[in-house]
Amino acid sequence: MSQGRGRGFPWPALGSLLLMLALWQAMASWLANPLVPSLAEIGHALQKIVAGGTLLQNMAATLHRVAIGFVLAFVTAFALALGMGRRQGLADFFEPALIIGLTVPGLVWAILCIIWFGISMTGSALAVAISITPAIALNLIQGVRAIGPELLEMAAMLRLPPLARLRYLWLPGLLPVILSGGRLALSLAWKVIVLVEMFGLSSGIGFQLNSEFGAQNVSGVIAWTLSFAVVMAFIEYGLLGPAERHLLRWRRQAAV
Amino acid sequence: MAGTTDTLSAPAALTLQGVGKRFVRDGRPHPVLAGIDLAIEPGEFVSLIGPSGCGKSTLLRLIAGLDPAHEGAIAIDGRAVQGPDAACGMLFQEHRLFPWLTVEDNVALGAYNDGLDKAELRRRVTAQLARVRLDGAAQLFPQQLSGGMAQRVSIARMLMGSRRLLLLDEPFSALDAFTRLKLQAELEDLWTASPMTMILVTHDIEEAAYLSDRIVVMDANPGRIRRIVHNPQPRPRSRVSPAFAQVKAELFALLDVLPEGADR
Repeated sequence: MSQGRGRGFPWPALGSLLLMLALWQAMASWLANPLVPSLAEIGHALQKIVAGGTLLQNMAATLHRVAIGFVLAFVTAFALALGMGRRQGLADFFEPALIIGLTVPGLVWAILCIIWFGISMTGSALAVAISITPAIALNLIQGVRAIGPELLEMAAMLRLPPLARLRYLWLPGLLPVILSGGRLALSLAWKVIVLVEMFGLSSGIGFQLNSEFGAQNVSGVIAWTLSFAVVMAFIEYGLLGPAERHLLRWRRQAAV
Repeated sequence: MAGTTDTLSAPAALTLQGVGKRFVRDGRPHPVLAGIDLAIEPGEFVSLIGPSGCGKSTLLRLIAGLDPAHEGAIAIDGRAVQGPDAACGMLFQEHRLFPWLTVEDNVALGAYNDGLDKAELRRRVTAQLARVRLDGAAQLFPQQLSGGMAQRVSIARMLMGSRRLLLLDEPFSALDAFTRLKLQAELEDLWTASPMTMILVTHDIEEAAYLSDRIVVMDANPGRIRRIVHNPQPRPRSRVSPAFAQVKAELFALLDVLPEGADR
């Protein structure tokens, strides 16, 4: 019944990746400069960080911080959106805070949180949470407004208690914007956490990037960046994509 | 508890006394309903009919407890209505099913507050889906249903639980003529078999004449009761009998409209 839209093997994507690698390799051999390392050198650097266990360790540290910031941000944004999407007064009250939150660069939150909270999980998680909450909240508010009064009235006629409304109405109804907001937030979160780790922490991808930068080790910088990208791609295509296809299958069903 | 819910509960009585409602329009109060007095017997089928703007849908929403700001008193079985009542269900013009839940889960929500265990809930969902002839549709999502099927599902949802008063706000007006006739007949069967009082708001004179024991004809500006037409034809009713034609003629005369004008 719920047949996934069977997409074939992504040849075009693979082609573009191979082309990029080939272009890089061509540039590296043409320049013959240690600041533009060849694929072999990058591969060697990658092997080094993978084999020593440093990659796993630092990736885990970074992911942990992002995850905590993410949870904080989502809970806050969800509460904000439920209020702001339904009460104009609340929307007017919180809007300036959201706009300020959106316009202040993540770098500023990173600096401030390190100054205020020092080198701690609190600081890094808060920096992530503050930077991504406005974007998620604005997404969710649109979703709350899109759930019409019809279903709210139905929930009232069925006398669903608050928890049941959350489970049967708000969470599933907002799932599309939760997922799209989550994607956006994830990309923002990575940028902020790397900055926090560069400035104030002694572990994580950002810290490692900073050390490679200090050593002028370009292949190290690229190796860390690449492994980072692989994890991002895995989260997007391996986790979020399939989850979305499953959870939103009610939308894709054609009418009989 | 012994027996099935269908035989346990009795249909509800409804009383309206001096019910009125004002909306504020351009800064001034604008009465949409005024001085509605009506007593509906347990198990009765009553239709509200009248021109657009006569407040019949507003009246239904007041009875449903969806709008507590009104004048007068509304009581179900003598209990004042202060919000959606456990004994009261409602069908709307749209099916209002939760699009992300399967048919089965949507129907199950109809008995959310009844504290049934999983097996019993499942048994009742299956039974109610069978009553509306949708046995095979349990696992479908609302988007996969036709308009008539979706409205049947929302009827099944309201048959769950222990509702004894069902409010119907033009539930068939968005359906094609053939489906509408079928659903009217099915609704009558369900009403006969269930201990339920039903109140139907409709634009369709024939629908009112076919289904109701009494037809409340309303006037607009402000909405009030013009006349109550008794409709004692025996059931099942024939749409082509002289008695049926006579009730329709009386309604047409009261409403001062041609049959074509009755359809939205």
